[in-house]
Amino acid sequence: MNPHLLRLLGSIGLDILRSLAIALGIIIFTFFVIRMIPGDVVDVRGVEGSLTYSQQTSMREDLGLNQPWLTQFGEWSGMILSGDLGESSRYNRPIVDLLAIVLPSTLMLGATALAIGLIFGISLPTLACLFPRSIFVGIVEFITIWSITMPTFSIGIMSVIVFAVWLDWIPAIGNFLVPAIILGVDTTGSLAKMLYEDMKDVESSEYVRAARAKGLSRSRIILRHVLPNALSVTIALIGMMLAGIFTGALTMEVVFGLPGLGTMTLQAIQGRDYPVVQAIIIWLGLAVIFANLMTEIIRKLVDPRLRTS
Amino acid sequence: MSVEAAPRTFRPSLSGHSPLTVLAYIIVTVALVVAVAGPWLITQDPLMFSADVNMPPGNGHILGTDDAGQDVYSRLVVGTGLSLFYGASAALVALVIGSVIALLAMALGRPTEIALFAFIDLIRALPGILFALACIVAFEPGVGSVVLALGVSFAPNFALITRATYLQQMAQPYTSAAKVLGAGRLRIALVHVLPNIAGALITQFAMILPRCIVSESVLSFLGLGVSPETPTWGRMIASATSYIEEAPHAALAPIIALSLVTFALAIVGNSIRKRFNVSRKSVTL
Repeated sequence: MNPHLLRLLGSIGLDILRSLAIALGIIIFTFFVIRMIPGDVVDVRGVEGSLTYSQQTSMREDLGLNQPWLTQFGEWSGMILSGDLGESSRYNRPIVDLLAIVLPSTLMLGATALAIGLIFGISLPTLACLFPRSIFVGIVEFITIWSITMPTFSIGIMSVIVFAVWLDWIPAIGNFLVPAIILGVDTTGSLAKMLYEDMKDVESSEYVRAARAKGLSRSRIILRHVLPNALSVTIALIGMMLAGIFTGALTMEVVFGLPGLGTMTLQAIQGRDYPVVQAIIIWLGLAVIFANLMTEIIRKLVDPRLRTS
Repeated sequence: MSVEAAPRTFRPSLSGHSPLTVLAYIIVTVALVVAVAGPWLITQDPLMFSADVNMPPGNGHILGTDDAGQDVYSRLVVGTGLSLFYGASAALVALVIGSVIALLAMALGRPTEIALFAFIDLIRALPGILFALACIVAFEPGVGSVVLALGVSFAPNFALITRATYLQQMAQPYTSAAKVLGAGRLRIALVHVLPNIAGALITQFAMILPRCIVSESVLSFLGLGVSPETPTWGRMIASATSYIEEAPHAALAPIIALSLVTFALAIVGNSIRKRFNVSRKSVTL
């Protein structure tokens, strides 16, 4: 077998093993952290006055909450591994159904933000490098400072006050476009910042000087040599950015009153609905791990230098 | 990153700074003065309720009143101190946990290093707010758990930068010299390397501080932060957003304060980064 291919496969195999270990860690960690929360769903329902004492006892038995932790963990991890997310103990409905209701809205928000981020986050730094004396350099610098200094949370609330209360352009509850743009601009900023700096670094490297000495045009150097090399570094951070986009989406949903995964997470935490909280944390964690693994594999496929370790 | 090239001369002059940086330093100074002098600046008890709810600015209330008839100005002044204090405490917890544990793990050898950074990968795979939310609910909401949860969720940033700078310092001749002279791994890490990576850690602290202040606000906004008697900015925003139509000023005052201070702290953090000559990429955000 070709030694290069062997090394590539070995390196990817190690990545997969590492991701599996982290995934297992998240499953164990989530279960025990959530079980440390004082009070359970039955307590919350009891306080709300909707259950008698004997109903509470039988509900605990039905949900298995009176079993030892380790037994609960054993049964639960078996269930999770077989792909069953379980039931919400508050609404007595399968979590899959609940997710199916809220997920599209959150995915739309996240995907729109990511799309805005990718389109402008890649094109703006490229334009700034192609035309170093143009307004694009200023735009990149501005949007970089903006995303570092202006948290989406502050911008979100200010937008509600300005656009919904004062100008009455958007409804105060349930607007989709404004939070998507806020998150998109934020993503653009962090992406543009990294890419622009990487492109500047690559531009001063020796092989770019060699390409220039060969007489290649400036635009060809930047589009064919600088951009792909700088992108390979930036791609690695997209997995991490997904976690940030979700965090932003969670806050934006609550600020703008959008029904979605963020709102559901908050309600589940406040209502002590363990199975839902667990399912959300685990599936988000797994999604981030998977995204990181994919970006790592893609980078190794396109960039042979990374295959060694 | 070239930490070893940290400038030795400290010149507290404003020359050579952009107007934006000067403005940022002024905002931070004002915020610090307000935070310290808070008790003498308030016009009434920030916790005193009254029947004058959601009053616009004027009539003895410089910034009006909120939904419980409390004076927004007095709450804002007290909140400045609280928000800065909790934010700084959280960032400090992150700095201490992250850097000390990482340094010890690196010094003790490969197995502890691998174990620690596997755990850090685990924390980093979870969205930060979600991790903090889970921690806070697990320890009961309150000031202590907010600071601890934020500290733990930002600790990986410090651990990663500690590892990167530690490895660089271990490649320097002075650490080899210490080794030859018989210094143990722990001694080298704590006595020789730590002072040399302090610049990078201070820079990271300055970059993390505004994010801790915002995260505290977000958690309070989500109802999982501090209790209503503690008027941090996030807490004020949280109670004011339910009445945003009637009293937008009650939400606007803390959100502007929050934005101004986090903006200024981010710019100041960047200028500290330049002072310590830490490259922008080595600072993990």
